Amino acid sequence: MCLHPPVFAAFSLLLLLGGCKDREITAYRAPKDPPPAMSGALAAENSPPGPNPAQPNSPGQAMASTPVPTASGTDLTWSAPATWTAKPNGAMRKGSFSVKGEGAEADLSITAFPGSTGGLLANLNRWRGQLGLAPLGENELDTNSVHLDVAGLQLVSVDFAGNTGGKPTRILGAIVPNGSDTWFFKLMGPDTLVANEKPAFLEFLRTIRSR
Amino acid sequence: MTPITKQFRDFFVSLKLTVVLIALSIILIFWATLAQVHLGIWGVQEKFFHAFFVLEKIPGTDVPLPVFPGGYFLGGLLLLNLLAAHIYRFKLEWRKTGIQLTHLGVILLLIGELLTGLFQKESQLRLDEGESKNYSESDRIIELALLDTTDPNFNEVVAIPEAVLGDGESLQHPKLPFQVRVQNYYPNAMLQRRDQAANSPPAIATSGIGPQVALIPLPLTYKPNERNAPAANIELIGPEGSLGTWLVSPLLGMPQTLTYQGRTWEITLRFKRFYRPFALTLLKFTHEKYAGTEIPKNFASRVRLKADDTHEDREVLIYMNNPLRYAGLTFYQASFEGDHTTILQVVRNPSWVLPYVSCILMALGLLTQFGIHLVGFIRRRSAKT
Repeated sequence: MCLHPPVFAAFSLLLLLGGCKDREITAYRAPKDPPPAMSGALAAENSPPGPNPAQPNSPGQAMASTPVPTASGTDLTWSAPATWTAKPNGAMRKGSFSVKGEGAEADLSITAFPGSTGGLLANLNRWRGQLGLAPLGENELDTNSVHLDVAGLQLVSVDFAGNTGGKPTRILGAIVPNGSDTWFFKLMGPDTLVANEKPAFLEFLRTIRSR
Repeated sequence: MTPITKQFRDFFVSLKLTVVLIALSIILIFWATLAQVHLGIWGVQEKFFHAFFVLEKIPGTDVPLPVFPGGYFLGGLLLLNLLAAHIYRFKLEWRKTGIQLTHLGVILLLIGELLTGLFQKESQLRLDEGESKNYSESDRIIELALLDTTDPNFNEVVAIPEAVLGDGESLQHPKLPFQVRVQNYYPNAMLQRRDQAANSPPAIATSGIGPQVALIPLPLTYKPNERNAPAANIELIGPEGSLGTWLVSPLLGMPQTLTYQGRTWEITLRFKRFYRPFALTLLKFTHEKYAGTEIPKNFASRVRLKADDTHEDREVLIYMNNPLRYAGLTFYQASFEGDHTTILQVVRNPSWVLPYVSCILMALGLLTQFGIHLVGFIRRRSAKT
């Protein structure tokens, strides 16, 4: 089998073709975007603090359709109480549970992001903001949070009660630095239901392990 | 026949060529499988299979060097080899009908894969319940869109592909009254509010949300469940000088606006959009699970299809294995988020029918070939007894 120069010439042409990429700048007339739908606007309520210029008219809507890098390091594991029902994780979550009781439902989300995602205080204040509570100062951090050492992981857990849409709402949360990532465990729902679940939530936090 | 033509013919009809190409294909697939750990499935397809050559950069430089034949090269040569051998050795004999049919099937399969690779366009349509969209979006390709939104009825769009942004050059387009200069470009980056990001470097952006945002470059991710979120600082320059520098990223979600020469512009880095002459509205998303488990049983989207140009206006139910085929596009139920958001995969593949035809041909060919042998065998046996 012998390759003749014309064969090489043909291969070179193929090589040139292979180098071509989609680099064309296009100009076109497009219809205006239809007005956004209202549902699903809270899909990204648990994403780390980031710029959100959409706040005046559609909080969350802007972030809901955009990708956010999630953590890529080692995963955490946990075991949830049998009374909690697992839900599909979706694109953002590492774990997701529905906690039901007293005819109401609370949502437990587990998310993870690379880096410190703005730091502990910013993230706790983000949660407080969701409940309509005033942000904490640096010096109020210790009195409003509890440090837990669970199998070598340093957890900061909080219990915030406030209001959403005029309804009493509570967040039980824990922030867990794991390697270069930060993990968020957040149980949010009606005040009394979440308050009743607190012992189960704390027990749940004690099952968290680094894989 | 001249010696050169003979040399060409002998090269392309050679069975040795077939063996070499198949051996090279095995190496290519093995190598690509290993590379998938770092590059992910899309990266591997692009680098190894949808390419004429596998290119590697010379260490320490940005100069790409072909190091191995790629999928198009090997597949193309295999196709030529198969065609040439067929034409050269073709004899019209009924005993060979099966083999001819099978080979025709293989030829069609190769052509189909080539056409699919060249012409298939995939994008995604993500709809919340009640939401309408007349465009789908790429799930990987990014574009910088500059929109003249002055007219209340439509937008004039100039879309600059990510590949061009990566060059970091100044761009001038006849539809733009200003020059676009890419100050810097990051293929993957995270954004944080500046007041919450300690020790972040000073902002390059001077306009829009940019000055309040800290940009943290991240390494490229190749995981199938993660997407890269590029970011760039874009300076717009008019004849009178700089109009400002904007930080853009798909993470910002909402576009930033500027007014220039009495017209309103939006600047946004977004996933590439493909506009359609019709709109889909998600009426209802249903998500059933097997009782007592989290295993999905069925997920379905009831959508309303409304075309701009024709009088088409109907409801369609899209569910697993039951896509909507319309206007040369196929809408598959691909994924979902929560209980009220559907994600449809939108595929345009003009050659989608070829693999089916080629499989039928191959099956027919093999049946014919084995049938002919079986009949001959039975005849010989009955002749003996």
